[in-house]
Amino acid sequence: MFFRMLRQSFMRGRRRKALATATIVLAASLITALMNLSIDVGDKMSKEMKSYGANINVVPKSESIPLEIGGVDYNPLRGQVFIDEKDLPKIKEIFWHNNIVGFAPYLKVTAELIGRGPKAVTLVGTYFDKIIPLSGDEEFRAGVRVINPFWQVQGIWPEDDDRAGVLAGAAFAREMNLKIGDTISVTMPGGKGKEHILAIKGILTTGGAEESALVAPLLLVQKFARQEGKVQSVSVSALTVPEDRLSRKARHSSDSLNSLEYDRWYCTAYVSSISHQIEEAVPNVTARPIWQVAAGEGTVINKIQLLMIVVTIAVFIASGLGISSLMVTTIMERSREIGLMKALGASETEVHLLFLGESTIVGVLGGLLGCAAGALLSQIIGLSVFGSTVSFNLIVIPVNVVISVLIALAGSLMPSRLIAKLHPAEVLHGRR
Amino acid sequence: MAGDKSGARTNTWMFLLILWKSLKVRRSRVFITFFSIMIGAAIITALSSIYFDISTKMSRELRAYGANFFIGQKDSSGSRIAEAREIEDALAMVPQDKVIGASPYLYGVVRLDLGNAVLAGVDFAGLRRLSPYWQVEGRWIVVDFDDASCMVGKTLAKNMELKVGSQVTVIRNETGFQRKLTVKGIVETGQAEDEQIFVNLALAGRILGQEGKVNHVMASIVTEGTDIDGLASRMQNRFPGLDVKPIRKVSYSEGRILEKIKGLMALIAFIVLTVTTLCVMTTLIAVVSERTREIGLMKAIGADDRGIVLQFLTEILVIGFAGVLAGMAMGFVLAQILGKAVFGSAISFRFAVLPVTLIPSVCASLLAAALPVRMAVRIVPAQVLKEE
Repeated sequence: MFFRMLRQSFMRGRRRKALATATIVLAASLITALMNLSIDVGDKMSKEMKSYGANINVVPKSESIPLEIGGVDYNPLRGQVFIDEKDLPKIKEIFWHNNIVGFAPYLKVTAELIGRGPKAVTLVGTYFDKIIPLSGDEEFRAGVRVINPFWQVQGIWPEDDDRAGVLAGAAFAREMNLKIGDTISVTMPGGKGKEHILAIKGILTTGGAEESALVAPLLLVQKFARQEGKVQSVSVSALTVPEDRLSRKARHSSDSLNSLEYDRWYCTAYVSSISHQIEEAVPNVTARPIWQVAAGEGTVINKIQLLMIVVTIAVFIASGLGISSLMVTTIMERSREIGLMKALGASETEVHLLFLGESTIVGVLGGLLGCAAGALLSQIIGLSVFGSTVSFNLIVIPVNVVISVLIALAGSLMPSRLIAKLHPAEVLHGRR
Repeated sequence: MAGDKSGARTNTWMFLLILWKSLKVRRSRVFITFFSIMIGAAIITALSSIYFDISTKMSRELRAYGANFFIGQKDSSGSRIAEAREIEDALAMVPQDKVIGASPYLYGVVRLDLGNAVLAGVDFAGLRRLSPYWQVEGRWIVVDFDDASCMVGKTLAKNMELKVGSQVTVIRNETGFQRKLTVKGIVETGQAEDEQIFVNLALAGRILGQEGKVNHVMASIVTEGTDIDGLASRMQNRFPGLDVKPIRKVSYSEGRILEKIKGLMALIAFIVLTVTTLCVMTTLIAVVSERTREIGLMKAIGADDRGIVLQFLTEILVIGFAGVLAGMAMGFVLAQILGKAVFGSAISFRFAVLPVTLIPSVCASLLAAALPVRMAVRIVPAQVLKEE
């Protein structure tokens, strides 16, 4: 009997049920989309944050302190220590290798200009956009164009195997009156070594120390300084999660972690654990997080995540209230029908049961359809804002269906109690 | 003529009477209509308020990345040292409330107990706001007349065997300066600061014999979009002797990130607006459709179609306006709560929010009322009254 009444109610009041379901679908799709987005927004924004440049700096283990002010080293006698260029692909072989977005090696030497007065300039060697073969068939693009998207070049970027093409820093070019296509000759300081002729391929603007230097392919600088296969430092750009209590504890002293905490720290993409893994993978180096980028990123991502969560909660409450008010109307208008049911001998419990059964069906249906619509919505948002799809978390489906049913039930509880209390005669007479 | 007039008056009177009765008698329905419109308007108001304020709020948050502005001496002028006064004048061009933090820097090489190091003179109060990302073990130096303390970079501290609280002798041969300083804090940034020792600017001036001079000033300035390039060129024009530039690493990325966040918020606000409007519409359709019988009765006693539609629309309009107004007030309060929860500051009210909330809410209400009423009006009264 109960099921027959339920079915009848759906068959007869099709329009009414469709309306209720539509509202729940709309609200549920909104909640699904926002939930999905707030789960994924951290990863998405973290990718965007990579435009701030590298967040880990790898330098050789060394005892001496560089005395560098504004890109000029005041300690020329410092014993030079290097990293082997052939060790660099190992950075891409650590536990979190998928989180390594890019890296760029640097080799800085001082060169003397010929024919322009006694003037020295820093020559920086690096990768621009170099393809590095990895074990397996994979290929990896490394270089400053990947990790420093804020570098702006007028003209063209030199090729990585170019033996003469360089970029001139904007301040240096202005000072020396250099234009694209000009050539300059340089030698090692003190006039030792042979003369190299460099062609200016582009003018580089960075807002940093590179603006008063010459930036050249690594190979060229290694040949020039006779330091084949050596680099001085490597900047690594990695996708990381914001710092929390565990990572701060690990940073303070990694011995204070017990083995469980250590495993959790090691297997989470904190900037400190990725640095630690780089130190393990590459011999004789120190990897230091660049806190300007790492800490800044953490602060901003936490903020955005909080924003999304708070907005989701607000929308959630609002749509809950919206659905409830709809359920109230759809039930209140059926007072006559209920009066008749009661006159025919239905108990209050049975009336309740009918309404709750209806609400549950509407809630489940609306919740499921809403999930599908919401998944679509979040993909649209992801594609148009971030240019990539938002990963769909399965947890959203049960949460959403349960929530939809709960809201529908909550909305129908109050009016169904009111209506069940009505006196059949009064209702049928049409006074209420 | 007189009959027409009084007839018109009776009609108007009747119209108002029906309106009043329908609002009064069906109080619970009126309340539900009002309530759902209010909730819809509130959420739209709250989200659009946040959307219009998000750039300002997030650009303040993005100052976590530190300095985005550099003022120094022109390279070509030979010396790299500038008068502190001139740079301060330049910095004064920026409105005070836009400067989150700024610090001058004066560099020089000094001898410590175990070797040479780069010494930097800074303004610690400004630096602390400028570089919130500094990881400090121990404490910051808080007063700017403190000339017995220093802060040391992590790598330098390790090499010089310094701990928080230990003493270090700073010697500068050229000026004959020699003094023992207490290490107040050890700094880690992952960049050049790790190898430097920091003291107050005044003390650095005495140590290096460069009082009243600085190398450059770094500042953290709240900007929106490309303001910062304009600011740099205006400052450069007024102070041709200085080298003024935005730090591209920070300013370029900031623009990109702000754009993304703004786009995200815009899309979310738009979707919430659409979906909430539809949600309110379905509720209103439900409320109005149940009054089909009433419409049939009105028709049976001689009301014309136009009159019925007009009456229902006016009714919805009255409730709708009241709902939207209450919703806007509520939405504004909601925006403040969200703003406080996320950014710790209030969301400012903008007039652009009014049309964004009002127009879709009222349009949706009217449309939602018109659809079922028009359908009901077409039906033959007898059919409706017979309960079909």
